Amino acid sequence: MLTEPVFWLAPAGVLAGVVFAVLFYRDMLRQDAGSAQMQRIGGHVQRGAMAYLAQQYRIMLLVFLILAALFATLAFGLDVQSRYLPVLFLAGGLFSALAGYVGMQTATRASVRTAAAARYSLAASLRVAFRSGAVMGLAVVSLGLGNVVAWFLFATTFMPAARGEGAGLVLVTTTGLSFGMGASLQALFARVGGGIYTKAADVGADLVGKLERGIPEDDPRNPAVIADNVGDNVGDVAGMGADLFESYCGSLLAAAALGAAAWSQDPAMQLKAIIAPLAIAGLGILLSVCGVFLVTTKEGAGQKQLLSSLSRGINASAALIVLASAGVLHLLGVANAWGLWGAVVAGLVTGMVVGRATEYATSPGYAPTRKVAAQAEGGAATTLIAGLGTGMQSTAIPVLAVAVGTLLAFLCASGFDLNQLNQGLYGVAIAAVGMLSTLGITLASDAYGPIADNAGGNAEMCELGPEVRERTDALDSLGNTTAATGKGFAIGSAALTALALIASYIEVVRLELLRRGETLLTLDGGRSVPLAEASLQDFMAHYNVTLLNPVVLAAMFIGAMAAFVFSGMTIQAVGRAAAAMVEEVRRQFREDPGILRGDSEPDYARCVEISTLGAQREMIAPALLAVMVPVLTGLLLGVAGVIGLLAGGLAAGFVLAVFLSNAGGAWDNAKKYVEEGHHGGKNSRAHQAAVIGDTVGDPLKDTAGPSLNILVKLMSIVAIVMAGVTVGFSLL
Amino acid sequence: MGDTRLYLSLIPQALVASMLNPEEFGYYYATGKQAHTHGEAIFFEVDPDWRSEDFPFHVMTEKCVPGPGGEPKESVYLGIYRVLSRVPVRALGNLYLVTSDGLSLELQRQPHSEAGRDELHLYQEFCPITPMVASRLNPRQFCQFITDTSQPIHVPRIVFSELRLDGLAQDPVQGDAHDLPYHNLQHLRDCLQQIKATHKDTKLVTKQSTEGVMYRMVKGGFYVGDQHDFAYYPYPSLDLLETSHRSWWRSAQAGGSFWR
Repeated sequence: MLTEPVFWLAPAGVLAGVVFAVLFYRDMLRQDAGSAQMQRIGGHVQRGAMAYLAQQYRIMLLVFLILAALFATLAFGLDVQSRYLPVLFLAGGLFSALAGYVGMQTATRASVRTAAAARYSLAASLRVAFRSGAVMGLAVVSLGLGNVVAWFLFATTFMPAARGEGAGLVLVTTTGLSFGMGASLQALFARVGGGIYTKAADVGADLVGKLERGIPEDDPRNPAVIADNVGDNVGDVAGMGADLFESYCGSLLAAAALGAAAWSQDPAMQLKAIIAPLAIAGLGILLSVCGVFLVTTKEGAGQKQLLSSLSRGINASAALIVLASAGVLHLLGVANAWGLWGAVVAGLVTGMVVGRATEYATSPGYAPTRKVAAQAEGGAATTLIAGLGTGMQSTAIPVLAVAVGTLLAFLCASGFDLNQLNQGLYGVAIAAVGMLSTLGITLASDAYGPIADNAGGNAEMCELGPEVRERTDALDSLGNTTAATGKGFAIGSAALTALALIASYIEVVRLELLRRGETLLTLDGGRSVPLAEASLQDFMAHYNVTLLNPVVLAAMFIGAMAAFVFSGMTIQAVGRAAAAMVEEVRRQFREDPGILRGDSEPDYARCVEISTLGAQREMIAPALLAVMVPVLTGLLLGVAGVIGLLAGGLAAGFVLAVFLSNAGGAWDNAKKYVEEGHHGGKNSRAHQAAVIGDTVGDPLKDTAGPSLNILVKLMSIVAIVMAGVTVGFSLL
Repeated sequence: MGDTRLYLSLIPQALVASMLNPEEFGYYYATGKQAHTHGEAIFFEVDPDWRSEDFPFHVMTEKCVPGPGGEPKESVYLGIYRVLSRVPVRALGNLYLVTSDGLSLELQRQPHSEAGRDELHLYQEFCPITPMVASRLNPRQFCQFITDTSQPIHVPRIVFSELRLDGLAQDPVQGDAHDLPYHNLQHLRDCLQQIKATHKDTKLVTKQSTEGVMYRMVKGGFYVGDQHDFAYYPYPSLDLLETSHRSWWRSAQAGGSFWR
């Protein structure tokens, strides 16, 4: 591996990512943190965010230690798992949590500095906000790629099996997938817990503060206002970061595993197939750093110019990775280099199409959301009907984009030969790598959103001048657009990564059978093939993975059902957590009349604590569902059942996630469109209906939808990690 | 009695004596002593030296005194029925618009200019009755019309504001009304069209406005008058509300009556 010069692009990318993340962080800290009042409010948000993380990490640590002990028992006691599993599992969780911690530390410090910079300059405030977002983006990709590279270096150096070519590298790469299990579980904590937290705080702040007490948004008299601000970071920085960290690592590990399996008979090509995704990812980090420097604007820039500044950085990185990846693949000398390059491009284009489709479905600048707003004139019922319809229709473009992208990637990588299943699936995984290659800058634009949003909140709470609020409003509005695009991107990448992980599942099963001493795979008619040489089609035939097998069909139904039940559980959880917040805010107003007068400061910390505890408590049941369903399905229905489950879960979960996110986004922005003065504006009947739509959509778009990203990936990764248990103890 | 002030509340009608200044009174009046309630309020400050046989001012002298701990007396009610008609316009001082969370916007009286285009108007009445009325009359003419005792329908004195009609002010049938927040826009169009097509001066649009004060739609300002006097309280422009009165304006936008 070390002898391939192209491999060094990966560590170079990691190094550059870490260096620039540190530089951007230090640059942000050097900026003016504003007045004492600005710092006081910023401090509340920062302490709240850290309190949330501390609570989450305490519970996470307990869960991880218990599971690591369980995995150690399975590995060392029962010998049904890899002995590296416990350590890799812990490492995945640890580094995902570290990326989240860095992102939250940066975002909560950056928002007050963004507001402070906005007192003098729009360009300066954009720079502070975006480069601080880039700290999160670069931390995620550097830690993700760094750990994958470190694992391969460790394994090829110290694992005796890895020194053997062919099956040895397959073992190393598939074992590496265990790293994804830790990242996936941490993402579940961050996304589901974060989603519940943010909406509980939001609903609590709105229901009591706005509706019952008549005080406006971002008013420091509202006890839940800090929890609400913390929630923006918890959801869109820590949650989004962990989600994409998992996708990023999952796509790299799946590509490496599928590459190793596809060319197991050709050691030279096998190594190149493992290095290719790592090199593309490293290159992506370098180009993301370049893209960050292109995001600048001039004073007095309008919304369009701000958006074009951001797009300039993202598009330049994407364009450069298209060109550079062609060079890397040729330099590496992989077979069918143009085909693999086609897969990279297919992934990148798919990501962009999904992002733009999400923006089209949810932005007030386009027809779908405006139609929902127009329906608000008819009342809440027509608003809800319109939003549901828009959300359902909005699934068409993203799903078709992923379908076309998957097929194109498969065909390009397989040389347009449908029988070349291994190479084709490797292409699908490479497409996921391509889509996520510029994650450093795309995640920067996501993490930028809550920074700008919190900066606006800080400016409001500190009653900064109108010109400052105008600047923070412009940045916030830009953040809303990037948030919508980012959500679509996260869903699309989750779908492609999950697909790659499902494809990797069979390789893990093969290794498990080999490890158990099996040598032959029996097929129909008493035929058998050597296990080490069996193709994916042979495995499908052996396990009878066809749609005519009732086990597969039944498991598909269960997978689809799991997506819906999981969503329902997270939505219900928001309601319960919000109820506790509502009661607390009411209590504070009731017991201290000085809060409403502005004479005394509310107990912000208590609201943060309630939201935090509510989120942690409420996420247990959905988390158990996500982990237990693939394990139980494996035990009851075997390998065929697991594949059916994953296929059903992915198909339903992906479409449902797009639907929930876009319906919620359309309702949210329809309300904002009405508030701009359309259809009667604020306080009109249409506004009342639009507010109801937004309230219904909130847990859909910020809790259930994003959490489904995790579900589809986590079910795949749990199935992979527990393949040994499935193969060893399955009833069928 | 130098510390005692008089306020004429319009929602609901009441003459109240208080030791609080207008901002404090507005907060108290909107949210209650323990801040356990909330609701919009509109009140005039009344000349503290004004006196009338119609109200028991001796009660004010007796009861509007500091509490045992020296705390100011928040309110002593001097009357709650037909109050506006018994307080002359000349005794009225500044007008205060109070949001449901207790923030006040002070409006000062200024001379009213009659200049204006020949267009239709929509008025929201606040006191003593609360309908919405479409009219061809300008504010001063409307005030004269509605307080004319020779008309079968009249009130002795009135407080009202004008609301924006946008495109309907010129063309009730074809005018753009897309972004107007009023209920039943077709009925509003019909009312305005009837005024335009006939000699009717006014037409009732809504018997009782339930929307609260539609601050976003106020055009020109607030008016109080009768057959003899007419006072105008100009409302700040949107720019001024966004800049100089931002806190009040944000509260006013958040606290529409439908929330309650």
